[in-house]
Amino acid sequence: MAKNNQPPTPIRLFFMFAQITTVTLGGGYVIVPVIGSALEKRGWMNEDDFYSIFVKAQAFPGPLAMSTAMLVSIRLCGFWGAFAAFWGILIPPFLALILVSDLIRTYGSLPAVQRFLAGAGAVVPGLVAAMVYKSVKKGSWNIPRVAETLILAILLALFPKLSLPILLGGIALLYGIEALCTKH
Amino acid sequence: MHETLILVWTFFKVGIIAFGGGWSTVGIIKNAVVPTWISENDFRALIAIAQSTPGPIALNAATMIGWSHGGLVAAMLSTLSVVAFPVMAITATTLLAGKVKLNQGALDSSLKTGSLAMMLMTLWVLKPVSLDPLLLILMLGAFYISAFTKINALWAILGSGAINAIAGPWIRGLFGG
Repeated sequence: MAKNNQPPTPIRLFFMFAQITTVTLGGGYVIVPVIGSALEKRGWMNEDDFYSIFVKAQAFPGPLAMSTAMLVSIRLCGFWGAFAAFWGILIPPFLALILVSDLIRTYGSLPAVQRFLAGAGAVVPGLVAAMVYKSVKKGSWNIPRVAETLILAILLALFPKLSLPILLGGIALLYGIEALCTKH
Repeated sequence: MHETLILVWTFFKVGIIAFGGGWSTVGIIKNAVVPTWISENDFRALIAIAQSTPGPIALNAATMIGWSHGGLVAAMLSTLSVVAFPVMAITATTLLAGKVKLNQGALDSSLKTGSLAMMLMTLWVLKPVSLDPLLLILMLGAFYISAFTKINALWAILGSGAINAIAGPWIRGLFGG
């Protein structure tokens, strides 16, 4: 059973999210399960409710951690809960990044630091390729879906300045097609 | 001030289409900020840093670019502008709850297609620029770790940086490079 039966308040939500966002490194899909278990441990939300909110959060633009935290907190504490969650997710990384930027500004000209940054930056295409590989493996594929994905990707690559209309238009069109298909 | 406003507008637009988790957004961020705000190589380092520090990658990128182009106020405004649209969307949906019926299945599947297309585009715009053999090997190692093991990608980033910083010149020396 839950050890801690204090009810959720905006202040407690703020500190919970600030703590999670400070100690969890590695992007949305790493942080989401941590949020889920923190909520369950406090007895504020069970896993099923949490994951049904998480599914909804994925439909919003913006960082996954942010939309999940805000939707969870709206459910628990209404507007002020979401307000607290917003700042809890935002403030620690902001301070950390300013610190890191300053360290790089101070030491960035050292050859060893430059090699570190070049080495760290070099793995980025490998990590993106791994994400593509995993998404392709996880998805269910048919010819129309492969064609849709490729056409959208090629349009995005050809017209980098038009990403916004291409994506919004593309997703709206796909939504329309999917909605029509599932109706019949 | 004018520069900060352009930065805010740039990141606001990134926030509107930042679907599907960090990595799919990176290509969109790159198209928006390279080369106006940051050079190609600095951007790759920035993404590696943004991924290995606390916080979402889009927020971190906005904070760092804002900070280097105008200090604290620019950093705050850029960071807030990335999340401005998502926060408005969440607020609007909560206020409209139940009044608008969306087909959740169709929405999920169209967003999945959209975010995979964004990831492919990211891969295209971030394809390796350097033909340095050691860096290419580190990249392949990171692919392997991230695709086939449960190790956090963070360790691939930090490990690769450390290997190149500490042993890079020595390894290249072995191969006469």
